[in-house]
Amino acid sequence: MIEIHDLHKDFGDLKVLKGVDLKIKPGEVVSILGGSGSGKSTLIRCINGLEKITSGSIFVDDFDVRNKKDLMEIRKRCSTVFQQFDLYPHLSVLDNIALAPINVLKQNKKDAKIKAMELLRSVELEEKASVYPAQLSGGQKQRIGICRALAMEPNYLLLDEVTSSLDPEMTAEVLVILKKLAKEGITMISVTHEIGFAQEISDRIVFLDEGKILQNLSKDEFFSDEGGKSDPRIAKFLSKMGNQ
Amino acid sequence: MYGDQGFTIFDLQLWAEGLGITFGVFLSSSILGLIFGSIIGLIRYYNIIGIGRVLMLGSEFLKNSPVLVQLFLVYFGIPALFTIDLSPVEAAIITLSGNTAAFIAVIVISSIDAIDKKQLEAARSFALSEWQILRLIIYPQSLAFAMPMFVSLAINQLQVTSLVSVIGVVDLTRVGDIINQRTFEPFIVWPIIGVTYFVLAKLVERIGARLEQRFSVHQASSEI
Repeated sequence: MIEIHDLHKDFGDLKVLKGVDLKIKPGEVVSILGGSGSGKSTLIRCINGLEKITSGSIFVDDFDVRNKKDLMEIRKRCSTVFQQFDLYPHLSVLDNIALAPINVLKQNKKDAKIKAMELLRSVELEEKASVYPAQLSGGQKQRIGICRALAMEPNYLLLDEVTSSLDPEMTAEVLVILKKLAKEGITMISVTHEIGFAQEISDRIVFLDEGKILQNLSKDEFFSDEGGKSDPRIAKFLSKMGNQ
Repeated sequence: MYGDQGFTIFDLQLWAEGLGITFGVFLSSSILGLIFGSIIGLIRYYNIIGIGRVLMLGSEFLKNSPVLVQLFLVYFGIPALFTIDLSPVEAAIITLSGNTAAFIAVIVISSIDAIDKKQLEAARSFALSEWQILRLIIYPQSLAFAMPMFVSLAINQLQVTSLVSVIGVVDLTRVGDIINQRTFEPFIVWPIIGVTYFVLAKLVERIGARLEQRFSVHQASSEI
């Protein structure tokens, strides 16, 4: 369970998150929507401690993100997939995936690589195991990014605009994998611009506006005319994103 | 008469000894410079206890003042200041190590800067410790960036070692001077000395090229 209470995050004078309360239960797939600058990515980056929170609290399975020791435990439980992939360019695809399991989870090297290979197979990239990231397409890199996150066997998968740097074709190949994962019951928190994707995989939609949660509704409610769409801000956002 | 005694077999021995001293001074100051320079660079990068700036100021001084002046400062200054004896070779190694370290520090910092920082965030998000990130991600990649600069620095510092002859180190240059004064055959002596440096430099370059290849970005530490 991820519990966020009254979360504030400032960057200097700029207040990005202004009191966010959110609970995410195990097995839930939650999409966080909102315009640019609404604080969506910052919210995810606060959960894994990449941004230090200004005030409020975040607990992941009762571990406190403000506590250094707890944070390491949180990071083991939450794996992040990044918008720009951020793979390690000096390591082969296989080693990119196996690095953290070997060095953080202290898995045996051979086992970790066998598992990495299985993950590669599941995203149909096993023939790229010994290739370096520079030789991959964006879509392939992101599939590796997903494998790298899954190799940690996380309780929570944090997706930070994972398709924003991809063209539609590559986006499709990444979304197929994520849909499959959502069905398998992994807890996912996804910051995204892909309304269609959010609609398809999410149990719940959180709409963030100017650093606050405007709506926190089940998917069906959010996309219904009486629910989310009755809010003019959300209606405007959805129509702008091409969803009627 | 002084200066026309011709070459003897002992000149060859002298040459070999000079070569040994030059190479020894070069190698030891390179290794020490690499160690201290890397430490200074890392202190600056992690901004440990705020001394990074002071160290960088020192390294700026060493980079932008003549090595000969530094050599005199160490050779004459340290014994006067601390009342200890310093042999010419010791003074030479201290000076050149410091000078090399100054350049290495700058190379280390710029090589770390050249790394895409977002992958470090990714590594942090997977609970890798700062030490693991340094060892497994920063080190292999920055080494790949740094290697060509290390090699050209090494070749340059090899030539700079010839300055140590001025404080009485019997290195290759000093040996050339001694033989020349005896034989008065500058057009034989100095080309030989010059070619010796040239061959040494080429050797360093060769080894450097090997290392560069070995540590090139995509090959670096592919085994984890």
